Amino acid sequence: MKKGSIFGIIVIAIAIAVIISTYSKSSTYGSFTDAKQTGTPLDVVGHLNKKKELTYDPTKDANYFSFFMTDKQGKECKVVFIGSKPQDFERSEQIVLTGQMAGNEFHASKILMKCPSKYTQDKIEVTEYKAKQAAI
Amino acid sequence: MDTDFKGEHLFPGHLGQLFIILAFGSALLSTISYYFATVNKNPLDKSWHNLGRIGFWLNSISVIGIGCCLFFIIYNHYFEYHYAWAHSSKALPVYYIISSYWEGQEGSFWLWAFWQAVLGNVLIWRARSWENSVMTIVGLSQTLLSSMLIGVNIFGTRFGSSPFILLREVIDGPIFKSPNYLSFVKDGNGLNPLLQNYWMVIHPPTLFLGFASMVVPFAYAVAGLWQKRYKEWVQPAISYSLFSVMILGTGIIMGSFWAYESLNFNGFWAWDPVENASIIPWLTLIGAVHVLIVYKNSGHAYFTATFLVLISFVLVLYASFLTRSGILGETSIHAFTDLGMFWHLVVDVLIFLAIAATLLIIRRKELPISKKEEETYSREFWMFVGACFLGLSCMQLVVVTSIPVWNAIFGTHAAPPTDKINFYNVFQSGFAVIVTLLAGFSQFLKYKKTESTRFFITSIVYLVFAVLVGALVIYVTGIYKSHWIYAVLMIAAIYSVLANAKILAEVLKGKTKLAGSAVAHIGFGLLLVGAVIAAGTSTVASINNTGENFNPEFNKTNNPRENLMLYKNEPVQMGDYLITYIADSIAMPNHYFKVDYKLMGKDGKVKEEFILKPNAQANSKFGLVATPDTRHYLFHDLYTHVSMANIKLDDVKPDEGHEDTNDDKSFDPPVPHEVAIGDTIRYRDGLIVLKALNANARLENITLEKNDVSVGAKLEIISHGKTYQSEPIYMIKGGNGFDFARKVEDLGIKLRFSKILPKDNKVEITVYQQPESKKPYIVLKAINFPCINFFWSGTIIMVIGFLLSIFRRNKEFKAV
Repeated sequence: MKKGSIFGIIVIAIAIAVIISTYSKSSTYGSFTDAKQTGTPLDVVGHLNKKKELTYDPTKDANYFSFFMTDKQGKECKVVFIGSKPQDFERSEQIVLTGQMAGNEFHASKILMKCPSKYTQDKIEVTEYKAKQAAI
Repeated sequence: MDTDFKGEHLFPGHLGQLFIILAFGSALLSTISYYFATVNKNPLDKSWHNLGRIGFWLNSISVIGIGCCLFFIIYNHYFEYHYAWAHSSKALPVYYIISSYWEGQEGSFWLWAFWQAVLGNVLIWRARSWENSVMTIVGLSQTLLSSMLIGVNIFGTRFGSSPFILLREVIDGPIFKSPNYLSFVKDGNGLNPLLQNYWMVIHPPTLFLGFASMVVPFAYAVAGLWQKRYKEWVQPAISYSLFSVMILGTGIIMGSFWAYESLNFNGFWAWDPVENASIIPWLTLIGAVHVLIVYKNSGHAYFTATFLVLISFVLVLYASFLTRSGILGETSIHAFTDLGMFWHLVVDVLIFLAIAATLLIIRRKELPISKKEEETYSREFWMFVGACFLGLSCMQLVVVTSIPVWNAIFGTHAAPPTDKINFYNVFQSGFAVIVTLLAGFSQFLKYKKTESTRFFITSIVYLVFAVLVGALVIYVTGIYKSHWIYAVLMIAAIYSVLANAKILAEVLKGKTKLAGSAVAHIGFGLLLVGAVIAAGTSTVASINNTGENFNPEFNKTNNPRENLMLYKNEPVQMGDYLITYIADSIAMPNHYFKVDYKLMGKDGKVKEEFILKPNAQANSKFGLVATPDTRHYLFHDLYTHVSMANIKLDDVKPDEGHEDTNDDKSFDPPVPHEVAIGDTIRYRDGLIVLKALNANARLENITLEKNDVSVGAKLEIISHGKTYQSEPIYMIKGGNGFDFARKVEDLGIKLRFSKILPKDNKVEITVYQQPESKKPYIVLKAINFPCINFFWSGTIIMVIGFLLSIFRRNKEFKAV
């Protein structure tokens, strides 16, 4: 067999390996219910329940942060994150958690939050300006 | 309904919009004219050619015009324009106005168009016989870029997004009904504090020059296929590709440096989709440079070279689609949001992909593909193999980064790998091992054919040497503790450095032609050495396993706890350092926290002491934005980053000079102590000693009458090794007793001289302590990054290598 063909086969084999590894290693998006059923790590998308308490008290533990999140199916769950409270967390619009269930709590290893983008933030800003005007 | 709005400055916006339309029109004119100039068979007819030039020059002027109008608007704070309102504020220093250009999508498209205009003019000046065909492609790209800025509605769909759109056109709000709405809009949103960094002034222009310049090799390849000048396009394409990889590489590393300095990605590289998007085309183009050289020297690998050049530019467009269309959604924090340009961007990618594919298919039979097989012991064969692996490495990045795209196409719900960084690191290290080994031993090979015994001896001698040096480095730095692939990569990278150093030594003997490649490869090797050590062995210094047990289940997971709590003036041991948060200093809008580091020797003496000043902006719009401070050493960097602090927002003015007299509520219940002179009071954080009573204590604005008495209690407070003085006062005025409390802010205590007890010869001192949680504190994270300097110096060396290569290739290439 020609050297070129052997090399070609190697390249194709690696390419297939890359695709399979991506497929097998990729996580899935799910809900808290899925997380509870499977018990494996996955990504949960949802939003912060702003009415319930956010716990981050560095005077007690600088690495414990907990909050309540509602997933896309409307199920609410307590989330615990080992670390400090991400900056600007209260303003987040959408949260993506990576982690798994432990009892009735979801233990997140990673939090990715989407803050309001410039374009949806605009309305909030306008009301702020009005409030300032009234104060003057 | 037309309202006559007051105070708007519509002229610069209208002028800017006119320039945008003109830029689009002239680019289109230039493209069409150059097309006809190319297909025109009559060499004496220069009319299309001249029209093409005029069109492109007109476009260049318009693009500059757009930039000037936008600058004028931002500089004058015309917040009636959405762009100025969204990306700048009155407090923004002038040099950051430039940064606000590229905070928004429109500004960065403009930047791209600007660089492409500059490059187009260089081509008009230099390309000679290639001008017509090459400029047709550059013009087409310029037309599509300009169309992104148009922002007009055609048949109910908006095309592009204009930077000159007005605030009231974007936002629906009752206030925009009022003609004097501008008097409500006092200030803009401001620039994200993360971008207020000098690196953010120069990183985007460099990166976009890199992106923009990739159109040039693409245009040459297309022109070569189109005009059937199959072999000639390669030489100019090598020079321009080298330029592109040099600039884009520099731009990427600048971004990496910014990320490292500001710690926004927790290090210098985090495989965020935005970072991947910039490196994807770099990898294919660096592969392309190698196979172009292979083709030039041996006639082999023509198809691979052409394919890689073509795909690189398509990938630039694909990368800009990824980051700008909003498709990355949940996978990246930094991508732009969708401006309604999703399909516009898709079309842009498809047009150029179609051009490349069509030409390759039409011309497939005519391509000068070598039928002869490469020699195994030839440099060209292994360079070709290396380029293929660069392509594979790129493919892995594309496949994984594009997960949201696959989801959109196939309707799946896959998410990126849970441990993304590790996943990429291991894969990309594997590819890097092969690439660096090849970059090493192919230096011992010659083009065409090499004598095999000599080659084996040299390469094995160097390999043994590399393994020895590598083993030492791996042992000293502790890389063996992490994944084995890092150790292998370390040896491979060292091998590449050593092999190329040998070539460089020969250069000094006179073979100067080879200097560029040797230097670039040494740089690349060093860069990897630094990256492997820094990424593989960086440690969090502030591991903290104290903390209240919120939940036993939670503590079982035994995760490292990376944040440390520091109360003001209370030293905490962190690894070898004794660290203390000692003071604050405020330079609005930055709040600096002074953290004192003492390196303690075994004998308990201070070996080294320094102060780091991490800062945070408590920005009311962006939240707490922290910037770390770093202690740089030759072989490692120590980072200090404030993850949390109880500071006020920057737009809350401190109440100056007005002290709340009754703030007892903010303290724990008071504790009275009866003491005589010389007695000691113990409290939570230390000792208070009553040194003396001062019968001459006076208060500034109170005059004492004959029978009035004023006594001060001279107190010395010793807390955590520091001594403070305080003198609360007791006063009898007009027969009534008063007392004047004194606070020691640093310690969070208040002291009252509450009674005199003449019978016992004692006085009563009341101590108020702030509760623990009210005391000033910071939550700190400290990270140790070893050997990062290799990474930066490797980059600089690599860029020098690219420069040398460009000079060499330019000498070879006389434009025809």
